[in-house]
Amino acid sequence: MAGKGTIYTYTVIHSAAEDFKNKVPYVVAVVEEDGRRFAARVEGYEPSKPISIGMEVEHSGEDPKGRPIYKFIH
Amino acid sequence: MRCVSVLGIGETKMGKLPDRTLRDLILDAGTKAIADAGIEKDRIQALYMGNFNSSHFCRQSHIGPLASEVLGLGNIPTMRTEGACASGSIAFRLGYTSIASGMYDVVLVGGVEKMTHRETEFITQGIATAADAEFEVNIGVTFPSVFAMMANRYFFEYGNVRDAMAMCAVQNHENALLNPDAQLRKRITIDDVKNGAPIADPLTVFDCSLVTDGSAFVVLAESGLAERLSRRRIVDVVGCGHAGDTMIIETKKSLTTVAATLRAAAEAYRMAGVKPSNIDLAEVHDCFTITQILNIEDLGFFEKGGGGAAVMEGKTARDGEKPINVSGGLKAKGHPIGATGISQIYEVVTQLRHDAGDRQIRKADIGLTHNLGGSAATCLVSIFRGR
Repeated sequence: MAGKGTIYTYTVIHSAAEDFKNKVPYVVAVVEEDGRRFAARVEGYEPSKPISIGMEVEHSGEDPKGRPIYKFIH
Repeated sequence: MRCVSVLGIGETKMGKLPDRTLRDLILDAGTKAIADAGIEKDRIQALYMGNFNSSHFCRQSHIGPLASEVLGLGNIPTMRTEGACASGSIAFRLGYTSIASGMYDVVLVGGVEKMTHRETEFITQGIATAADAEFEVNIGVTFPSVFAMMANRYFFEYGNVRDAMAMCAVQNHENALLNPDAQLRKRITIDDVKNGAPIADPLTVFDCSLVTDGSAFVVLAESGLAERLSRRRIVDVVGCGHAGDTMIIETKKSLTTVAATLRAAAEAYRMAGVKPSNIDLAEVHDCFTITQILNIEDLGFFEKGGGGAAVMEGKTARDGEKPINVSGGLKAKGHPIGATGISQIYEVVTQLRHDAGDRQIRKADIGLTHNLGGSAATCLVSIFRGR
């Protein structure tokens, strides 16, 4: 069972730094999970599907630093 | 503490200046400030230089001695200060405290940045170093995205202020039409802002401050000495607050109230013995349009959640009850990062001396500058009084 978090705030990035310019548009968010907040990427962004604060997202893994990565539940 | 006054000011034209090196910018603004002060260079006892990231943009560090050599200041002590977009104001505060403490009587404070000669991605990367490299930049967070997340949270907590954000840009552009040093002197509309190229939703390119080359300097002096030397209206530094907050966005208590602004402003107001209602004009850190709305609330000019309405009602326009960014702000005058705080002081002092020409506001006796660094992790607020 993957953990779930909720979106505290988010944005869709259209203009990125060098390392991420081939990933635009992508979503970064502050996600609340178990009373903590994490700045995280939320994968699986689809422009036709609206994003809102309070929306649930699924914990989909960890980055090499052990920080959570999330994905949209469509 | 001794009283400190601004004796001289100078700044370059802001903009994309491909033919001007760091040295050229320093020489231009520094020479103007020293000439404006009407003093010989050998009176200057120390130099404090705000510079964010010439190490990246220009492959040049050690800006203190560079500036001292360019300006011919001999063997005085120099220092570079870095606090992201607040680098210049930190230099100012150090200069201020060095005189207030009695250590020096006259110091020069400057700021400089040169960045427009680089590609956009390289600039974005350089600016992003003011965010947390390990926990933010590594996952793709950019600077505009941090403030875009603040904007979306603000909409959630207080209601949508998209039009008011756009109006901040419109007003700042209007103001810049009257400022010969401004980078962009072009009228824009609310629709231009909202329909601009997307950067990080809801921010478009018109919600973002400019990428700018520029420099600004001020000469500070002990007030008694300033009275003897100055041929102009004296402008005293009556308050100077400095505060911080956590580096990363996830650990801030609130994303809609800037804690560092509250604390720096409280310190500056207390020192100056004035209230927000006493401020005649303010230059506030409009790195993004949402930030201008947060700032005018956190500085106590308008109630929390009421900043957007105040902007839409014209209260922050140059002829409104609280003129904000009459220089054009970071949005239209420009944002030469390490020089921005000093350039804000340049504008406020010009207004308090009643030397602003076409853009002079009617009542200008007490002015305030507000300069943020990074994800609002550094803030300086200074208050000036003309007499």
